[in-house]
Order: sequence, then structure tokens, then C-alpha cells
Amino acid sequence: MYLVQHLYEQHGKFLGLDLLAGKKGLNRRIRKAEVNRPGLSLAGYLKGLISKRIVVVGKQEIEYLKELDPKMRKERLKIILTPTTPAVIAARGLRPLKEMVELCEKSHIPLFRANTSATALQSRITFLLLEEFSPSLTLHGTLVEVFGVGVLIQGESSVGKSEAALGLLERGHRLISDDVVRVKKKEGAYLVGSGPELTRHLMEIRGIGIINVAHLYGAVSVRHDKAIDLVVKLEEWDDQHFYDRVGLEEKFIDILDVSVPYHILPVKPGRDVSLLLETIALNHRLKGMGYNSAKEFNAKWLEAISRKRRVIS
Amino acid sequence: MKVVKKVKVKNSLGLHTRPAASIIKILQPHKSSVCFTYKDATINARSIMSILMLAAKRNAQIVVTVDGDDAEITMQKLIAGFESAFGERE
Repeated sequence: MYLVQHLYEQHGKFLGLDLLAGKKGLNRRIRKAEVNRPGLSLAGYLKGLISKRIVVVGKQEIEYLKELDPKMRKERLKIILTPTTPAVIAARGLRPLKEMVELCEKSHIPLFRANTSATALQSRITFLLLEEFSPSLTLHGTLVEVFGVGVLIQGESSVGKSEAALGLLERGHRLISDDVVRVKKKEGAYLVGSGPELTRHLMEIRGIGIINVAHLYGAVSVRHDKAIDLVVKLEEWDDQHFYDRVGLEEKFIDILDVSVPYHILPVKPGRDVSLLLETIALNHRLKGMGYNSAKEFNAKWLEAISRKRRVIS
Repeated sequence: MKVVKKVKVKNSLGLHTRPAASIIKILQPHKSSVCFTYKDATINARSIMSILMLAAKRNAQIVVTVDGDDAEITMQKLIAGFESAFGERE
């Protein structure tokens, strides 16, 4: 549940908010990541008015209200200051009308003044709220950046996720989070993972204990967040399972309805998991550049056998 | 088999590093998958970092979900651990 109080505390400074009235209403819930400029509603047109939006009044609205006669002014203000309105913000440091302050105080709607223009406020608030309301999920796994590719390493406990990540750090790659990854869907299209504040850049290695990666390997070895480009699942080697040997088919996994390339990597003594993860990441980059090793080879092979004369190697 | 139960943290300092390590130790011989849900996060209880991330204070209510063949016994042992504040003095 996201309250006006949260917006005020977390982003009040950035938005330049100054609370003028309706302090008791700070616990009002924000339900929509949208902002309402009440121009038409103030003029009396109410069809399709969405009262759950935060109301931003600019210079025009204030000027218009000033021109109305006091009775009308109050009436129109009552229309936009509904019981579900989360908050009202006056832009450009404008002084809200007396009636507005009174009404907000009486009906416990927080009234703020901001020093930026209404348009800037509108876009900033929408951006912040969309960010806040974007679907998120906590996953078990380790998120690392390998050659600029965000790789989420998953797998059962004690399969060696943390050890693989440690190997990657040693080779100059970066850790975002170990064990717990907060995943957020951004702009409805891609995923960004980060670590929880409390355990950020900490790792637990069996037999050693808790280590701080940022202290051990330096600031260059960590990152705050990173887009998740692919998911690799580490698995104990199973002789019954048939592992991908050619890489012609690409697998995907759905996280928050976003499809992410997915690899299953069997682990067994003698397999250098860090090196394999590096290879997967590089291959992913290569595919992004339009080159698919497996497909390219397949095409070459088909071409070779379709030639009439025998290929002399 | 799936068992879900609510437990209360009895340790005066909450679920800090030592009780978190005790939980891992209790779970080690068991095969079932164990999840803790606290506030809006659900985590794997076999990971120390995940338990610590919850930052569960004293008296916090945690929903424990155990799923697997030995769910019943795993849950019993876990609850006993929580009840005894994982051997810490109150």
C-alpha cells in the first residue's frame, strides 16, 4: 500500500514539496500512478473525472478560480477535492486560494506547494509512481554482471551459486546481489534486479561465513542494480537428463510475464562453472550482435552437403 | 505434502545471524523445501542471507511453508526451534 506520506517522505525533497494543509490526510492511499490537471473539471465538465488521481493545479487553474464568484469557486473546488483524492499540489510555488486551504484542512486532504512547473511535476510524479507501482518479486538466486550482461544464477541451495559468483568476481565481473534478488518489471518490458538494502554486497560462503564483497574486492566489483538479460539454472549433473549439446533451440523462462533466455547448466567436479557462465554471457552478446554460432554452423553444414562435388577438406 | 504454519520470533534481538544459522542447521538433514513469508517477502529458508534480509524483529509473525516428503517432522523441529528462541536466553 502506497500512501501520500511515503511519497512525501521519499521524494518530497526531489519534488520540492511543502506541506500547507491537511496533515491528517497523509495516510491517504495513492491508487493510481496518474496525475490530474483539473482544468475541465473546474469549468464544470465532470464526465470521466478520475478522482483517484493526485491533483496538480497550475497557474491557469488558480487564475481561473480567482475569477469565479466565491460561491461557485467553493462548489467547483468541492468537485475536484473528493474523498478519494490522495493529495493536491499547487505548482510554481503558487499560493493556493484560501478556500482551497480551508477545504483541504477540513476534509483531511494533504495540500502541498511545489516550486516546479505543473508540467514538470506531472511527469516527475507519474514517473516516480510508475516506478513504485511496477510489479516486483523476490527471487532466490545470485545476480552478477558478466561482460556487461546481467546473469541471474539460480539453482537449489548448495549447488554452488555463490561460489560461481565468487569465481566471476575474481575474474573482474560484478556482483549485484547474492541469494536474494529483488526483481522489478520496468516499463512493462524488461526486468531489473537489485539487492535488498540490508544485505547488499554481502555473500555467505559455506565454510568461510559472511563476507563483504565491496570491501574485499573494491568498489569496482559491485553494482547497485542491473537489467536481467539471461537466467542460468545450475543443476547437479543427472545422467538421465539430456543436456543441450548444440544450442540450436533457445529456451526462455517467464518472470513477471517477461520472457528471458534460459540455460540449464549441469554442474559436476571438473567443470569450471565461472568459465562456463562467462561463455554463456559472451555467446549471448554475440547473438545480440546477430551472430548465432550454432545456426551459422548448421547453415554452413547444409551448404556443404548440398554442393554437388565432394568437399575436400 | 505441504504444511503451512504461523510462528512468532521469540529472540529478543529478532532473527539475527545466530538464530538464522540455527535454522539452516535444523533444515540441513531434511529434504523438504522451506519458505518464510514476512511482510511482502517470501524467501528460501535455507539461505542465511535471505533470512537476515527479512529483518524480523522480536514478536514478528512469520508464515512458514514446508513442502516435501518430510514436511511434518521438519515443521515440528522448526517450531521447537522458534519456541526455544533457538537456545538463546530470553
